[in-house]
Amino acid sequence: MKRALAEEKKDRYILGIETSCDETAAAVLKNGTELLSQVIASQIDTHQRYGGVVPEIASREHAVHFAPVVEEAMRRARLSFPQLSAVAVTYGPGLVGSLLVGVAGAKAIAYAAKVPLIGVHHLEGHIYANFLRRSDVAFPFLALLVSGGHTHLLLFEAHGRYHILGRTRDDAAGEAFDKISRTLGLGYPGGPGIEKAALTGKDTAFAFPRAMLEAGSLDFSFSGLKSAVLNTCNTAAMKGESLNTPDLAASFQQAVIDVLVRKSVLALKRTQAQTLLLAGGVAANQALRSQLARAMAALGVEFVCPEPALCTDNAAMIAVAGYYHYLAGDFAPWTLNAVPGLVLSQPCSV
Amino acid sequence: MKFLTIDTTTKVTALALSEDGSLVGESFLHIDKTHSERLVPMLDHLLSAAGWELSVLDFIGVIRGPGSFTGIRIGLATAQGLAQVLKIPLVGVLSLDALAWAACKRPEEVVVILDARKNEWYSASYRWNEAGQGPECFVPARAIQPQELLAELNAGRDPVWLVGDAVAKAEEAIRSFLGSKALIPPDFIRLPRGAYAVREVWRQWRQSGGAAAVTPFYIRRSEAEVNWVKKQEGLRNIP
Repeated sequence: MKRALAEEKKDRYILGIETSCDETAAAVLKNGTELLSQVIASQIDTHQRYGGVVPEIASREHAVHFAPVVEEAMRRARLSFPQLSAVAVTYGPGLVGSLLVGVAGAKAIAYAAKVPLIGVHHLEGHIYANFLRRSDVAFPFLALLVSGGHTHLLLFEAHGRYHILGRTRDDAAGEAFDKISRTLGLGYPGGPGIEKAALTGKDTAFAFPRAMLEAGSLDFSFSGLKSAVLNTCNTAAMKGESLNTPDLAASFQQAVIDVLVRKSVLALKRTQAQTLLLAGGVAANQALRSQLARAMAALGVEFVCPEPALCTDNAAMIAVAGYYHYLAGDFAPWTLNAVPGLVLSQPCSV
Repeated sequence: MKFLTIDTTTKVTALALSEDGSLVGESFLHIDKTHSERLVPMLDHLLSAAGWELSVLDFIGVIRGPGSFTGIRIGLATAQGLAQVLKIPLVGVLSLDALAWAACKRPEEVVVILDARKNEWYSASYRWNEAGQGPECFVPARAIQPQELLAELNAGRDPVWLVGDAVAKAEEAIRSFLGSKALIPPDFIRLPRGAYAVREVWRQWRQSGGAAAVTPFYIRRSEAEVNWVKKQEGLRNIP
């Protein structure tokens, strides 16, 4: 009994490592909620001239930055490697060459420090960014994951046990933001540019479609909205008319938000979940956050979202997810490999 | 001085343990599995078979290329991760330099050829230096088309030793091109081995008096970079 108590009081330190795309990131987390350090080497500038992330260049950059980024994260946390409880690393989905640098490095560190290795699903990491602020979220909860590659509604029944209630059938929400932003000349990634322009625009200036799909569906579709915005721009260009960019940005953004809010409300009404967690790069959008907060308050459902800096790719979220794997004793073997096409669990109807 | 060497730059995973340049243990795998899956389990196995703890290591040697881009990075990230925790230096050497030890004490020229894909080989040439007790490079690392290299070798009069992972696929072409001038040792001699890495790393360690660069050595730029440079040059040429 005494021994169990002593064990209970022991501090747990998780080193999180994330290299799935174009950010080399490492973070050290204490007891699941206290972020001791977070270091990110971004490659955005390197890839700019190519108009997107080039996999081989991303891998080369990771190989150069990996060791210094980890070193700096440990230095800022004032920890030595053997003091770690475990090393958690993203093993998919992502770019295989990029993932492999993180996986190989994390394995070597864990092996040499004689601590367990934990493999984390990148998307699970995004959702668990919420647990940094709120480690007491009650199950079951609903998670709305919106990023450049994914738009998912997930029902979590326990740590690591979830079902997909809905997902996009074409473009991800973040992808639509990026494409519209490029058309409107608002930069890449598209989220911040559109959000800023929308602040001075009228969101009812253009009547863009809100694809709800068949009655009751929790799936998403954003390609029709994207085409509607592009058509509006093209038609105006052919007529030689100029459109108000803030109005376009605001009307587009509102159409995306309306769908995300309505589907979340629909999903909550259909499940026992009393909490909604927002996650992914698009979760940094303030308009989305405030409108979801309002809708959840009206429903009497609790709304949780990560601080904006933790919405985009980072290693803190991997460390948080890793912490819960650690508590569950869910460790990876030394044969852990990168899985570029790693999927979330299969859909299930509620 | 105790050290470990790691080579994952070809399809062979080669690990070795050494004390003062003598071979203590060696692990060689040439199978259809990724380095990522087999590297740490192999290392664990080798260390325990030798009765060594990681903590006895004074430094780690790693092959930094040329070879498979992904393989280079897996080897380096692994070596760096280990060295970071153990707080010991790293010694980087080239795959071609290590493989030249395959022709230890041979009187002939040694030509190392590694598969570079895209109808190219990574290659370098060496001569045994009796005074220096090691291979001496006289044609440094480059990427070259097989036909071009074979024509170069054919122009010379002396026989050459050919080693490297590119030999297997090209053996017939090499023989028909160079005839009896081509001396081709069996695969257990011409593929990367931990024993060769041990010799090259030990030589590098003594020469540099400690750590040596572990920057990846790719030879080739990424395709996207090459195309971008071409495009810029094209734009510049437009009057």
